[in-house]
Amino acid sequence: MEARVQREPARATAPPRGRAIVITSGKGGVGKTTTTANVGTALAALGHKVVLVDADVGLRNLDIVLGLESRVKFHLLDVLEEKATLDEALVRDKRSENLSLLAAAQTREKEDVVTAHMVALIERLRERFEYVLIDCPAGIEMGFKNAIAGANHAIVVCTPEVSAVRDADRVVGLLPNDWRPELIINRLRPLLVKKGKMLSVDDVNGILRLPLLGVIADEPGVIVATNRGEPLALDAASETGAAYRAIAAKLAGADIAAPSVRVPSTGFFSKLGSLFGGRG
Amino acid sequence: MSGRRIVITSGKGGVGKTTTTVNVGAALAKRGHKVVLVDTDIGLRNLDLVLGVEKRIVFDLVEVVEGRCQLRQALIKDKRFESLSMLPAAQTREKEAVSEAQMSAVIDELAEMADFVLIDCPAGIEHGFRSAIAGAKEAIVVTTPEVSAIRDADRVVGKLTAAKIPFRLIVNRVRPEMVKSGDMMSVDDVCEILASELLGAVPDDEEIIDTTNRGEPIVLDETNKLAIVYDKIARRLEGELVPFTTFDTPNFLSRMLTIFKAG
Repeated sequence: MEARVQREPARATAPPRGRAIVITSGKGGVGKTTTTANVGTALAALGHKVVLVDADVGLRNLDIVLGLESRVKFHLLDVLEEKATLDEALVRDKRSENLSLLAAAQTREKEDVVTAHMVALIERLRERFEYVLIDCPAGIEMGFKNAIAGANHAIVVCTPEVSAVRDADRVVGLLPNDWRPELIINRLRPLLVKKGKMLSVDDVNGILRLPLLGVIADEPGVIVATNRGEPLALDAASETGAAYRAIAAKLAGADIAAPSVRVPSTGFFSKLGSLFGGRG
Repeated sequence: MSGRRIVITSGKGGVGKTTTTVNVGAALAKRGHKVVLVDTDIGLRNLDLVLGVEKRIVFDLVEVVEGRCQLRQALIKDKRFESLSMLPAAQTREKEAVSEAQMSAVIDELAEMADFVLIDCPAGIEHGFRSAIAGAKEAIVVTTPEVSAIRDADRVVGKLTAAKIPFRLIVNRVRPEMVKSGDMMSVDDVCEILASELLGAVPDDEEIIDTTNRGEPIVLDETNKLAIVYDKIARRLEGELVPFTTFDTPNFLSRMLTIFKAG
């Protein structure tokens, strides 16, 4: 934390600059986009100005999860290539005026993005928004490199599966040394953990050793919400929605205790431990 | 001998490419075929974990390509299915370490020693994807019945068509009760959207998480319902016309049960 503050000394004349947070995982399908949409929605509901950036050029999905796909007219590459202004490309969320989306191009390639241009774009967004959440593509190729380039913080999303933990560990090793990424453990099934058939929160974080930002339980409602384009964070009755709201509050500085979804360790740890020889 | 070269791809990550590769491969091996699984996810390998051979890796794909070892030295034989082996990806290298031409040459060499070469493709459509499909003559596209996965699969279908690689579809993690309640797309819907021929529909099963963590292909347990599904997929790959079990609508047995319970 100190390192980040030192890197960016406050400028008295400039407006407050927002935080640029990349949501990443290494492994695909663990819930990066769902996390981005829900944490962003919850931050906006708290009154913060938030922009969500889909960095998955060629395979965009954040627009679908937010239910904004029919409103996308211009995209990230249009802005980078000056075919559209930032204002033309930003899609205002239909539910919250604090929330905007910058969609990825669907028919272009990740290699079309120039890293320096991406960094400059995120800088511009930080002048206008308190939170810039960057939805990173799966993998650790060019798309990943461009997505983390403009960020100054990371949220690592991981599911309680050996393969996801291994990929998350690899990604943490590729992030800048002075970051202290925070962890969200997604799709935990407490009953399976109790039966010894799923890694526990402690198993996962025994390997990754990151500050725990939140734990999200697995529930079919997430699939339904994705298919409908309505983030659960807005559903007052949903426990998953409440968990996302707690994550947003914690990210915004609230003093919230560690997540309560904790279940005993399962003994997977011994298998896991032998797989990770450190990050290097 | 010139075996079939099949890439397992999806666009979106986490839909089950690696699990599909391992279980279809094990089902084919169980039916007597010589099968090699190739992990092309350089830097983020996982096929070794799902197969449970992670501790036996000595050499990898990149070392083969760079001429540091023989192809045969890098192959790991499965201990449960003697006709099954795998070629691991490098964990600490970049995808650019292997070109499309180099990958193609490795796959060609493997096809000389096996009936089926199954290529596990990384997520995305970047360099890793392009080299994974470079050596393939056929493809299996894996998707789940979710809007985002289908949109990504559609992108991949376009790229496979452009590369003239024929493909069939596996719809993974279907939850029949959600299809029934209208909260999930049916297998037919997915096939129609992607205008693709179905190779198999695999129901969602929490058991798969456990077997994956333990490195035991689910097809080891012959009584498991997923083992039966993967065996049918293997038979369809052989060319047999295996009828599809429809679990989109209540089947005869469950209807009967409902009727009897109601009565």
